[in-house]
Amino acid sequence: MLKLTGIVGMASDVDLGGTLHDLAHEDRVETIVLDRRDMLRKRLRTVTDKGTDCAIALPRATTLEDGAVLLLEADRAIVIRASVETWLHLKPEDAAAALELGYHAGNLHWRVAFHGSLLAVALEGPRKDYLARLDAFLADGRITLVND
Amino acid sequence: MGSGKTALLERLIPSFTDRGTSLAVITNDLVTREDAERLQRSGLIEPRRVVAVEAGACPHTVIREDPTLNLDAAERLEMRFHPLDLVLLESGGDNLASTFSPELVDYWIFVIDVSGGGDIPRKRGPGVLQADLLVINKADLAPHVGVDLAAMTREARDVRRGRPVIVTNCRTGEAVDDVVDHIVRNVLFDG
Repeated sequence: MLKLTGIVGMASDVDLGGTLHDLAHEDRVETIVLDRRDMLRKRLRTVTDKGTDCAIALPRATTLEDGAVLLLEADRAIVIRASVETWLHLKPEDAAAALELGYHAGNLHWRVAFHGSLLAVALEGPRKDYLARLDAFLADGRITLVND
Repeated sequence: MGSGKTALLERLIPSFTDRGTSLAVITNDLVTREDAERLQRSGLIEPRRVVAVEAGACPHTVIREDPTLNLDAAERLEMRFHPLDLVLLESGGDNLASTFSPELVDYWIFVIDVSGGGDIPRKRGPGVLQADLLVINKADLAPHVGVDLAAMTREARDVRRGRPVIVTNCRTGEAVDDVVDHIVRNVLFDG
């Protein structure tokens, strides 16, 4: 088990970028892919893409970010990557439907974003579970799925 | 509510004490200190190492929306008993949508029990789906309340898509060692 206790720097940092680039050419950069929820953690047991068992233990004031470098050695680096989020885009039929949808999403503690006239819902679980909760809205046309 | 969270704590405390883990406990209740007082009277832990937080509102408000009261309690315990290896934080009894803020906890166990109904996993509450570890307690009651424990456990594993599930009987201590092992590996990074 490799204990990682802080962020050395960011992959985008000029002074780290060269070293990481060289290590990557030798296939010596290991990646830990985390979803949004795990990115918020301060302490986490996980494995890199090359199978290294890692124990991340950060100070409570430190927050993981996409590109955070947790280890940089002469022959190895470990970098955090955020997994790509998927969103459900919902178009309410009218203002009344939008009010009702917003209330519904709040009750379900869904994480949302406002994209003009669309409500975007972050999928933090199986898509079918979200659609099941929207069944009544979709069935009577109060909302429609967009670009989906 | 009534699923056995405090009973689990009463089993975990001596297990960690035996391992030499420096431990403290925070309990959350609505408007009482009942769970904290139960642990303080138990003889399992130095009473000063147990602190109560009274939410005064829905229990999830102080573990998710604004965990300040619990963060303050943890900091006070850490200052008083430095260095602490582990702080166990018990939420007040809540519903299937209860979740913890990652600002507050590093690892999160959701405790349900057999007598609450075998259909609880199927209802896919955020607590059941998202917790790091799901504990199904009161396994011994299954035949008395008409629950097919094997099916309940299977459905829990299905909806959690690989996240661990442990079936316990906290009154007898059955499978509590498995819970300890998960905490030791994933929080204390030992093993």
